[in-house]
Amino acid sequence: MEGLILVKDGDIASGCNELFKTFLTSGKLEAILVSQETPNGKMAFPALISDPEKLRSNILSPILPVSEASEISRMTINKGSDKPVGVVIRPCQVRALTEIVKLNQANLENIVVISMDCPGTMDVNTFSNLPEGKVPTDIIMDHLLKGTDIDQYLRSSCRTCKDPVPMNADITIGLFGVDLGSGFLVQAHTESGERLLEGVKLEAYKGEREKAIAKVRGGKDAKREAFISSKKEIKGIEAIADFYDKCVNCHNCMNACPICYCKECIFHSSVFDSDANKYVHRAKNKGIMKMPDGALLFHITRMNHMILSCVECGLCEQACPSNIPLMDLLIPVAENAQRELDYYPGKDPDEKLPMVVFREDEYRSVGEK
Amino acid sequence: MGEFEPKIVGFLCNWCSYTGADLAGTSRIQYPPNIRVIRVMCSSSVDPIYIVRALMEGADGVLIGGCHPGDCHYINGNYKARRRVVLLKNILGTLGLEEERVWIRWVSASEGQKFADTVTEMVDTIKKLGPNPIPTRWDI
Repeated sequence: MEGLILVKDGDIASGCNELFKTFLTSGKLEAILVSQETPNGKMAFPALISDPEKLRSNILSPILPVSEASEISRMTINKGSDKPVGVVIRPCQVRALTEIVKLNQANLENIVVISMDCPGTMDVNTFSNLPEGKVPTDIIMDHLLKGTDIDQYLRSSCRTCKDPVPMNADITIGLFGVDLGSGFLVQAHTESGERLLEGVKLEAYKGEREKAIAKVRGGKDAKREAFISSKKEIKGIEAIADFYDKCVNCHNCMNACPICYCKECIFHSSVFDSDANKYVHRAKNKGIMKMPDGALLFHITRMNHMILSCVECGLCEQACPSNIPLMDLLIPVAENAQRELDYYPGKDPDEKLPMVVFREDEYRSVGEK
Repeated sequence: MGEFEPKIVGFLCNWCSYTGADLAGTSRIQYPPNIRVIRVMCSSSVDPIYIVRALMEGADGVLIGGCHPGDCHYINGNYKARRRVVLLKNILGTLGLEEERVWIRWVSASEGQKFADTVTEMVDTIKKLGPNPIPTRWDI
C-alpha cells in the first residue's frame, strides 16, 4: 500500500505530525516514540508521546542526539509492549534495531516501525550553534527541494551514509522522488503498517522514486568510497597510536553505541585489575607505562566485538569529548570486516549473526598454512 | 647484540594442542624455547582482547592451538575460534598492525611432532618479520 499525503504550503513536518496525531486519536497506537525539538529549539530528543495534544514532532529536524534503537531496547528488553506503539526512527536506527533484536536486546512485539528517507543529520553542536537566522529544517528542505550541498553541516557518517532509505520498516515516509511542494509519500510494507494507514486519505503516486533513490545512493556511495580511500594513510602502529592519542578512556563511544550492550563490559570488570607491584612490573617491561593504560586495546577490542553489526550511525564519534574522528577508522574497518564475513548488518532479520554460525569448509587456509 | 629471539604467546586448548605440546615434551622432541604456553579450555574461549593485549604488552606473535576441524571436545568451538581469528586478522590488517603475527593452528593430542614443527615454523617466520613494533609506543 502506498500513496501521497497532500500538505499545505509544502509543510512536510506538520503533515507528518498530523498523520502521527491521527494514529493516536484513532486509538491505533497507544503511544508514539518520535523526535521532538525541545522548547528552545536548540535540541531535539526522542519523546514517547501518548497525548496527541503534546505532539510537535518534526521529522525533518536533522539531529540524532542518542540512539533511537537503544531507547527502544530500554523500553522492550524485559517485555514487549501489550498495546501497539509506533516508533519513528531514522534508517540507520532501524538497521541498528534489527541487529539488537538479534542480540536479544529488544522485543518488537507490538512495535510498529516507521522510518523515513534520511537526508542526514548534524552534530549536536553544529545543530544548536547554527549562525543567526539559519533554521536546521530549512537547510534540509532547501537541500531536498533544490539539491543544495549541505555536506558542511552533516556528520561524516551521514555524508557517507550507505543506506539513506529505510529497510525493514513497517512504514516508510518517502521524501526522495516526491514533489515535496505538495506532499509526501507513505508506503506500508507489512500488515501492521497497512493497518495503521487504513482510512488515511492517499493520492496516487506517479513519481520516479527508484530513479531518485538511485541518484541519492550513487552520490553517497561515491563520497563513501572517496572517504575510505582518503583514510588509507592511517595504517601502522605510529599512525594508529597518533589517531587515538586524545582518548581519555571515558568509554562514551561505547555508551553511545546502539550495538555495544554488555551489562558489564570487560573494560569495566575486574579482569585486568591489579596491584601496585604488578603495575611496577609492567612498567619495567618497557621502562614506562601510560596511566590509564589500555586506550588502544579498548578500541581494537570494541571493534572486534561490534564491528560486524556496526551500522555506521556515527554516534560514537558524536559522543567523543576529545573529538576523535572515530568514523575515519570505523568505516574502513566495518567495510572490510563485513565483506570478509559476507554480512550486511540490518539487512536480513532472519540471517544469523556471523559470530554464532560457521561453515565447516570455510577459511581452510587460516587454520593451516 | 644477539640474534632477535621472538616472544610467542601460545593459547593452547586443553584437549588437543596442550596435550600435543605435552607429548612433544615427553617424547623429547626439540623445538625453540620461544613460546610461552597458556592452557585454555577451548580455542573458542580466547577472546580477541587477550590476543591484542599480548601483542601490546610485548609478544612478537600469538599462536592459538585448537583441535582439528570436526574433533573439538565441545563439538564446534574450533570453527567459531577460526571465524573470530579471521575477523581479528581482518581488523588488524585494515589498521596495518601486522596480522601475520596471529596464528591459529590445529594440533591433535597425538601430534607432538606437528606441535614442535608449528612452533619452529612460527619462530622462523616471526624472526624474519622482526620485533613487534606495537610495544615501541608507550602511549597506547
